[in-house]
Amino acid sequence: MNQLGFHVESYLILATLLFSIGAVGFLTRRNLLTQLMSVELMLNAVNLVLVAFNRIHVGTMSGQLFSFFIIAVAAAEVAVGLALVLGFYRIRNSVHSDDADTLRH
Amino acid sequence: MQGILKVFPLNDFALIWGILLFPLVGAIVNGIFGKRLGRSAVTLMALTAIGVPFLASVFSYWVLLRAGGDAGHGHEAAKLYVKGWDWMSLSLPQDAGSTQLEVAFSLDGLSGTMALIVTGVGFLIHLYSTAYMAKDPGYHRFFAYLNLFIFSMLVLILGDSLPVLFVGWEGVGLCSYLLIGFWFGEDKNAQAGRKAFITNRIGDFGLLVAMALLLYYGGALDWTSMSSAAESRFLVPIDLSVGVGRPIGAILEWLGLRYVSAASLIGIFIFLGCAGKSAQLPLYVWLPDAMAGPTPVSALIHAATMVTAGVYLVCRMAPVFVLSPAAMFTVAFVGALTAVFAATIAFAQRDIKKVLAYSTVSQLGFMFLGAGVGAFTAGFFHVLTHAFFKACLFLGAGSVIHAMHGRIHDADASQDMRYMGGLRKYMPVTCWTFVAACAAIVGFPGTSGFFSKDEILLKAYTSSVQLPEHSRTLKLGTEDIVLMQWPSWGPAVLFAMGVAGAVMTAFYMSRLFIGIFMGEFRGWTVVAVAAKSADHAHADDGSREHAGHHGPVAGLELEGTKPSESPWQMTLPLVVLGFLAIFAGLLNAPLLKIAPLEHVLAPLFEHLEGVVLRPDSDLLEHQLVWFGVGAFTVGVGAAIWVYHLKQGKPAEEFAARFSGLYRLVLDKWRVDELYQETVIGALEILADMAVWVDKWIVDGVIARVPAFLVSAAGAILRLFQTGRVQAYASFVVLGLVGIGWYLAMPHAELSVLGDAVSGRYVVSASPGLGYTYRWDENGDGKYESNNYLARTSLDLSLGRAERRTIKLEVANVFGRTDEETIVIERPREDKSGGTTRIDVYNDDSGGLQGVVRKPGTANQGKQP
Repeated sequence: MNQLGFHVESYLILATLLFSIGAVGFLTRRNLLTQLMSVELMLNAVNLVLVAFNRIHVGTMSGQLFSFFIIAVAAAEVAVGLALVLGFYRIRNSVHSDDADTLRH
Repeated sequence: MQGILKVFPLNDFALIWGILLFPLVGAIVNGIFGKRLGRSAVTLMALTAIGVPFLASVFSYWVLLRAGGDAGHGHEAAKLYVKGWDWMSLSLPQDAGSTQLEVAFSLDGLSGTMALIVTGVGFLIHLYSTAYMAKDPGYHRFFAYLNLFIFSMLVLILGDSLPVLFVGWEGVGLCSYLLIGFWFGEDKNAQAGRKAFITNRIGDFGLLVAMALLLYYGGALDWTSMSSAAESRFLVPIDLSVGVGRPIGAILEWLGLRYVSAASLIGIFIFLGCAGKSAQLPLYVWLPDAMAGPTPVSALIHAATMVTAGVYLVCRMAPVFVLSPAAMFTVAFVGALTAVFAATIAFAQRDIKKVLAYSTVSQLGFMFLGAGVGAFTAGFFHVLTHAFFKACLFLGAGSVIHAMHGRIHDADASQDMRYMGGLRKYMPVTCWTFVAACAAIVGFPGTSGFFSKDEILLKAYTSSVQLPEHSRTLKLGTEDIVLMQWPSWGPAVLFAMGVAGAVMTAFYMSRLFIGIFMGEFRGWTVVAVAAKSADHAHADDGSREHAGHHGPVAGLELEGTKPSESPWQMTLPLVVLGFLAIFAGLLNAPLLKIAPLEHVLAPLFEHLEGVVLRPDSDLLEHQLVWFGVGAFTVGVGAAIWVYHLKQGKPAEEFAARFSGLYRLVLDKWRVDELYQETVIGALEILADMAVWVDKWIVDGVIARVPAFLVSAAGAILRLFQTGRVQAYASFVVLGLVGIGWYLAMPHAELSVLGDAVSGRYVVSASPGLGYTYRWDENGDGKYESNNYLARTSLDLSLGRAERRTIKLEVANVFGRTDEETIVIERPREDKSGGTTRIDVYNDDSGGLQGVVRKPGTANQGKQP
């Protein structure tokens, strides 16, 4: 705790919750779009942790910097992921992730 | 002359590149683009690729002669030299430094003459081939191979060191293989090519070993160092029984072969290479089979040039050879034996190319006989004349076959003497050039073959190789090793074999000539076998095919085209070669006191001291010539009597009376069968064993067991590949949880650094994020404090043979704890001795001091 009344623990707990929600969502939902959103949720949890820890290390901005990178990568990832989902929908007429099992056979 | 030497200085004679590269370019162009270029372009390219090097060789030779003349009769032989690039650096044994191998080429009297033969005869044969191969679908391929052969041969000849020569040596072997199997559609031809290649490989092994020995004892591989080969380096005794096992060593001892000089060993191994390339006993078997190739190939490669490479190499290595009477006598004796042996086989052959092939083997034997007795000039001169007359004979035979093939359409039958005869009427040019070449090979007085063979016979009797007195025995340790000397019966035996070979040559060549050109044409009556197999041959002769389809009966006369003379591209080379066959003898005719070739070659060989002539050799020169004339008269006379006057009846009677012997000779003494049963049979058994091992051990065990393991593992791992993203993701999550759990738990780990001598130990705990520690230092089982502290290491001092139990408890931020216990024991004093130790310390003045501590005293007393 520093003099501004900042508790890193609360941010960490929030981030853990967000990450868990994302992970569970990714694991349980079969809709590819929902899964993409879950991935985004997990990424945001990580961003939150990075920014929170940056608050402890006064004078550096590397946490923020990493967050920006992750946001940029996440944007690219969504673009590619949505394109893949779209392509998949054209072929299989479905966005169900269980239908994407061609490589298994 | 000065101007020429400015453009082409003798020691950087760039024209040699021109000689070398034209055939290479020709081979590449014809080989890659030949199919699209069309026949006339291929012809032009091929003829240019050989014609230009011929002109360049003539020019270089002229420069060489002028340069030699300008320098006067100095001790150094004139030599044109060009260096390409550094090839590799070889380190020498016994720390003698290293030697630099260069890709360099040189042209002196020996290689220059050889280059003239190769390019000159090569050009004529290229020209001949343009007509001979005109209808062949592989026209461009043929000339690509032929040009590549010329290139390799020139590398072989002009290379300035043994490794460069070896590159050419292998190159001509490859081209020979490719050209023997040129019509590889027939299994027989492909087999013949393979046989030639493999037999040559056996010889090449010898050459490689010789190169290694030369490098080991001589320290260099180029001609210049070779020509100054020192006795001291090569007259070194070698104990052959080392490392071969006791029984073999005992056998060697019994044979008197236990100790040899390095020169002998090198000579024998080089000769093994030469015997392979030049078809000498016991490796001659490939050459007769090599006749499966197109006839111009037989003329160029298997008569005029490639097969003489062995003789060239022996001449080239003369400085080493003359240091060993044993090796030289082996060369001479094997040569003489081959000359006689091959001639006996030629007696009974009916295939005209086979007769010429055995004749070639026999003549090569003559060359080795000459070189072996130290008459390198005579041996090499026979290479020259043989190139002319044998090329002429082969090309003449090719012309005959060409004509016969137009009638018989069968590869084998069109070469069979029994269907020929009387061709004199139909092919006058071929006939008369054949007469000229025959006259040369049988030794008709005044022709080229007469002079060269006569010189060899003379030298076989008068010349021998002797070591100087002081180097006939070598010292090895305390033993005296007596080197083998030229046997006293040597000259007489070699001479007798040579004369016998000459008589036989005269006989079988006359038989061949009479069989082909004299009497009546027997080809009108073609036996059924030949005609039946005609169907598949040469569809382009469709109009004449009907001869084969009427089911002819043996002895029935058939109509058909008459054999006719060949086109000018074929007859012109014949005329030129026939002319040379008769008159080339004047290049080296000591009998007539004219010997220009001798003058060119003499500087290379005259300083060789090992070659000793009989004191009365000048006297014998004019007496022994009657043996040569006699051999010619007897051989030709007998052949004319048997085959012309008596129409071959005496030969038939002989064959009937000694049918066993006749069959044996007809079957070439069954040497091939002997090799098949012994060497090849043994190899096949070995191969069968290897196959068994491969099938049951390698494939069965080594391959199948891992394959089973992999497939079993795959069967299990396949279950995890569900094809569902969630399943994969859950593995990732599981892994993540595992890592998280590991990080969240504390891990106590202790490590000890200590010195048993001084008794000081440091125990340290491995660090971790947020770890705090408490220690039990004194070994009473209780921790020294209840609180966890940041102390990560302990310093201990233990007495002799003391044990201490150290406990550590680690807590992390979550309050989890972990325990670790170690026992440290300082050993008892080491009384068994041990290593001496040096203690080093700084003395008062700041310098370093060392105190030597003997084992067992390490800790007694203080440092001074």
